[in-house]
Amino acid sequence: MAKAKSTAATRSNISGWRQYKALLKKDIAQELRTKEMVTSMGLYGMLVLVIYYIALSQAGTGFDITLIAAGLLLLMIVFTSMLGLNRSLIHEHDQGQLEALLLAPIDRPIIFLAKATTNFLFLAIVQVVVVPFFYVMFVSSSPGIIRGDVDPGPWWMLALILFLGSIGIAGVGTLLATISVNSKGRDFILAVLFIPVMYPLLLVLVAALTAVITGGSGFEATFWQMCAAAAAYNAVVIAVAFALYDYILGV
Amino acid sequence: MSKLQEFAKSFTQKRELQITIVLAIFGAILTTAAFVMAFTSANMQYHDTTVTVDYLLEDKGALLAPPAQQVGVDEGFVYITPWFSQKIFYFHVPIAQLSLVVFSLAAIFGIIFLRTRNPNYDLRSRIAMETTLIFTLGTMITGSLWTRASWLNSWGELGSTLLSEPRLVTYTVMLMFVVAYFVLRKSVEGEEKKATYSAVFAILAWIIVPFSFLYTRLTQEAAAHPTDAVNTGMDPSNLLPFIVCIFGMMMLGYAIYILRVAEEKKRTQLEEIKETIEDSLSKASKAKGVNATNQYSAAVVLNKTSEKQSSDSAQSASKDGGE
Amino acid sequence: MSENSHNTSSAAKTALENPTISAAGDATTSPAAIMAQGVSRSFGPRKAVDDVSFELPDKAFLSIFGPNGAGKTTLLKVLSTLLPITGKGSASVCGFDVKTQAEELRRRIGIISHNPLLYRDLSADENLQFFAELYCIPNPKQRIDELLEAVELKHRRYDVVRGFSRGMIQRLSIARALLPKPEVLFLDEPYSGLDPHASDILDSLIANIREDHTFVMVSHDLDKGLELASHALILSRGQIVLYDECKHIDTAAFKSLYREIVGLGVS
Repeated sequence: MAKAKSTAATRSNISGWRQYKALLKKDIAQELRTKEMVTSMGLYGMLVLVIYYIALSQAGTGFDITLIAAGLLLLMIVFTSMLGLNRSLIHEHDQGQLEALLLAPIDRPIIFLAKATTNFLFLAIVQVVVVPFFYVMFVSSSPGIIRGDVDPGPWWMLALILFLGSIGIAGVGTLLATISVNSKGRDFILAVLFIPVMYPLLLVLVAALTAVITGGSGFEATFWQMCAAAAAYNAVVIAVAFALYDYILGV
Repeated sequence: MSKLQEFAKSFTQKRELQITIVLAIFGAILTTAAFVMAFTSANMQYHDTTVTVDYLLEDKGALLAPPAQQVGVDEGFVYITPWFSQKIFYFHVPIAQLSLVVFSLAAIFGIIFLRTRNPNYDLRSRIAMETTLIFTLGTMITGSLWTRASWLNSWGELGSTLLSEPRLVTYTVMLMFVVAYFVLRKSVEGEEKKATYSAVFAILAWIIVPFSFLYTRLTQEAAAHPTDAVNTGMDPSNLLPFIVCIFGMMMLGYAIYILRVAEEKKRTQLEEIKETIEDSLSKASKAKGVNATNQYSAAVVLNKTSEKQSSDSAQSASKDGGE
Repeated sequence: MSENSHNTSSAAKTALENPTISAAGDATTSPAAIMAQGVSRSFGPRKAVDDVSFELPDKAFLSIFGPNGAGKTTLLKVLSTLLPITGKGSASVCGFDVKTQAEELRRRIGIISHNPLLYRDLSADENLQFFAELYCIPNPKQRIDELLEAVELKHRRYDVVRGFSRGMIQRLSIARALLPKPEVLFLDEPYSGLDPHASDILDSLIANIREDHTFVMVSHDLDKGLELASHALILSRGQIVLYDECKHIDTAAFKSLYREIVGLGVS
């Protein structure tokens, strides 16, 4: 009798939203304690900036960096996010925690959504810190912009396209990192899987970023076209990743 | 034992193998014939650059080149006879089409695998991926030869050619996918995990490849790089070797696929036989184990009689124990 | 499939020929906590679990023995819905089918594994709170208080798990497993990696909760397993070699049977 009663009570209480919040809270608490992901990603991003500085030190003043700035920025984001994605899934793996999650009465999609959300969050935080540095170091100090030949678009456009990019990276990256964390040679496998899958997105991101950074007549049209393309990629590929995540967890 | 017999039988039943070998031979003959035809019977067309199939489709089956483009000299431009690029075309396009077909097959078998969990489909998906690797490499080699030849002719520069051809870039991405697929397979432990992950990845790859093609084009337009030059149609004398080559390649591709599937199936059969042998070994040892169990039962009986649970069962059991 | 035999000796014999046998007697009187009927788990030619059928009465303690690769952990994972059954077999825990009522089932089971299944960078309290939220437990604070008291970790409540000793981690992971008040507890080699002292503590903890839970334990350690168990099951190559109640088992004979199976290299 008592058993039946408690059954009814627990059944009415299961709430996906509550579980989602718990998962987010857990990841954030973990990060606040260790500061592992944000610091390692941020530091890595800064180091990449130093490498850029070294690489471009002989380019001379005549070199128009705004043409390749978008590519450089994206390169940094790709490398830092791969580092972060790996770390975030290792946290779920090394003590078998993922198994504990799967044993709980939780819908599998909630696990995917929560993990993708926290990955997005940490990516965004790192970008908020590192992208301004990049901009000051390489873009706003470039001769073209100082002379006024190049007129970059507004900053919110930059933020919007980075936002779209981070959604795609976090969404699809969560699936790929879950695969790679279960295999030998985690970091390497993630890179091997990540780059071809991200190829179309990275391509349009560079196009949109270049449009914003170089400005010029009618850059808005290109920018919006590329944003739409990035959104389309995100919608389709994240939906597929969402559907396939269940199978990854099932073995 | 019956599995062993099946295995032995499958070697005597060579029909599948025979058909495949016939297919392979025919495929090879047709491909060679197309090669010969390309250099002998096919007429040279005088126009500048690439001859592509999508042009034919756009023109709703108008297989003849527009008259203006069949002329060697047009509007002041002097075109060099695209001799080599013309020849490589007959091989490039069929290989490229087939690579897309087998790539799709890999994804479709991946979907079926995830639904059924039948390892046979994982096997098929993997072999399809292997075939994709062969054909993608073929596409890229012929494609880069072709692009180089034709674009050197038309613009006299090598510079941005390879990276500005969306199809070639797409094939590079596809090659990355195929390589990643096999790297993934190598690094995942456990058969089922390996099969599931690679099926998921094959499906994802299949979704991404069209995006790669479209977005390469889209971004190139945005950057206003040179994209495709004028497309032209085909002379009927060129069409014959083209079609012959498609059939030849298809037969060859199918033969490769079937042979590899058959080979891998034999391998799994062999594994099964090993399993059955181990099983029979375990049965033999179980027979030995009966001894131990009899001792065990006797002990149980002693236990039970001391508990005085049931005298009936104790009697019957002690008989068992005495055997 | 199930055969209620009061004659244990013939039951033990049939176990060798046809591993479908239920433990004597009890199954009819109290409802079965775990029912497995023809459970198989295979991929291609490899069968990790091969046609396993048994019935475990409520509040029993089942020890599963077997050599490495015998399919013990796989069987545990199938019963706890982490892996699906392949083929026609079916299994239920607490009356809930593993295939169709997975969520209901998950609410009623807890796992204590040799892997702690805890977040090392969170405190004991945060870990338990997180799992309490996942199970949507009403009044989590009170429940966590109770549990930390029970496993004697109250003084360590706000300490990060990373600094805990192996024994403390194991105690905390028991608290985590007991959080949703499970009816069935799965123990996956819980003693591996524990020093004698920690394993004594684990013993006493299990003894404390022994009466109102059904246990399924996978173990290599025959003595430990038999000491706690009310039922014993030997698995070899995914098949049941023997399934019986412990009170009918003579320890020495049982051990020699087990050694015979393991020792012959039939793994």
